[in-house]
Amino acid sequence: MCEVRCMAHVSVPMYWRTIPQRYKLVGQKCKKCGHVNFPPKGVCKYCSASSDFEEVKLSGLGKVHTFVLISAGGAPPEFAEQEKAGGQYPVAIVELAEGPKVIGQMADADPKEVKIGMPVKTELRRIYSEEGVIRYGFKFVPAEGK
Amino acid sequence: MAIGISGYAAYIPKLRIKKEEYAKAWGSFSAAGVAEKSVMGFDEDVLTSAAKVTKRALESVPLAPEKVSRFALASTSAPYTEKVLSGTVIVSVGIPGTAFCSDHSSSTRAGTEAMVSALEHMMASPNGRAVVVAADAPTASMWDSIEHPMGAGAAAFVLSSEDLIAEVEACASYASEYLGERFRPKDDETLHDLNVKKYEEGSLLTNTVKAGNAVLKMLNRKPEEYQHVVIQQPDARVPSTVASRMGFTDVQLAAGLVSKSVGDLGTASTLVGLAAVLDVAKVGDRIMVISYGSGAASDAISLKVVSDRKSPFKVQAELDRKEYIDYVKYLKIKGAIV
Repeated sequence: MCEVRCMAHVSVPMYWRTIPQRYKLVGQKCKKCGHVNFPPKGVCKYCSASSDFEEVKLSGLGKVHTFVLISAGGAPPEFAEQEKAGGQYPVAIVELAEGPKVIGQMADADPKEVKIGMPVKTELRRIYSEEGVIRYGFKFVPAEGK
Repeated sequence: MAIGISGYAAYIPKLRIKKEEYAKAWGSFSAAGVAEKSVMGFDEDVLTSAAKVTKRALESVPLAPEKVSRFALASTSAPYTEKVLSGTVIVSVGIPGTAFCSDHSSSTRAGTEAMVSALEHMMASPNGRAVVVAADAPTASMWDSIEHPMGAGAAAFVLSSEDLIAEVEACASYASEYLGERFRPKDDETLHDLNVKKYEEGSLLTNTVKAGNAVLKMLNRKPEEYQHVVIQQPDARVPSTVASRMGFTDVQLAAGLVSKSVGDLGTASTLVGLAAVLDVAKVGDRIMVISYGSGAASDAISLKVVSDRKSPFKVQAELDRKEYIDYVKYLKIKGAIV
């Protein structure tokens, strides 16, 4: 697809550092309070008392906590072309099975069918492309029938 | 020690376009026997499809990704012409960086090329585990009728010397020099084809028949001793042409003939066909797979089904899960309107 010229810039090294999170949902479990942080934090956001973590790979399963539908004119520039080609798309805050709430686009879902509480799972998709470099990352897809 | 397939899966993207949409837009549809074809979504490509189908194949065994020692990826439609393509897939799936990775990309034969090279790894390291994945979505200019059959899909196989579903009996290849059929010049994003039909059929038959017959000779077999044959499917008629020349029948082709509902899957063509056959094959069934890539080369692989274990990801379920789009939406998703 053609390159978007005007967009929120994330440098390749900055993107690269987050690949474990974007490609395979690597989070951190606080060794003190046991909560799972995603994305990783310097200090546990739940107990604010520990920076001692264990790496955990999240299942990618979760439920839609809330969502919004992005329509023409509402899409950030890096997603404008996607909106033009595919129409309205949902962006959801998903509560993952391990606890954290994360934001992401939904794919393979009819915007009219998206509901709070619907089960979803993550899948690797193309997010956008900048400087000729494809930025891959997770999106949420409906968990049933997949 | 027997080496073969211990897990497999296919993935067909859910979007479909019917031949009638092409007929409305162009007045005709030039893909013999293809009723509809699959289309990748705007945010999908061969690497996201490969990641998805690799996870499924590992789950079908089941096998932890950490155990994989060899990863072979095939596609003619990768998003980069230079860059290690396997990287995206192995990191997302969790296959260790110590696994030997190879990318196979210069012709539609690359799916079986990946399979044969992974089999070689298994022969050298029988305790290893190999994953072979072919994912493709060939593209040509919308002005060119060779674009009509081009679909999208992926298949992945886990190769092992344990827990086999089907064991590999023999394989053989044939390569030769043919010019002008299905090629993509450097710096060109779309495929070309000079469309000299009889000449191209000569290349197709020469390579497939020589590779296929070499396997039959090795095993001292006749075509009628096979329950299934899967032959490269640039459309839904080509397999019959090759089959009848070799002495196979349309009955043997039936279970693996996926192109009539998904189109030309490029490197994934014979491997999605093989997955469809494994879904229905019985213990003792023999399967012949013959690929073809223009330029030209073929690989032939003979397999014997040794277990009635099936993948939980049925090819039929992939074919049934679909959402139709019209030709204008197709052009937008393919990025053909600029």
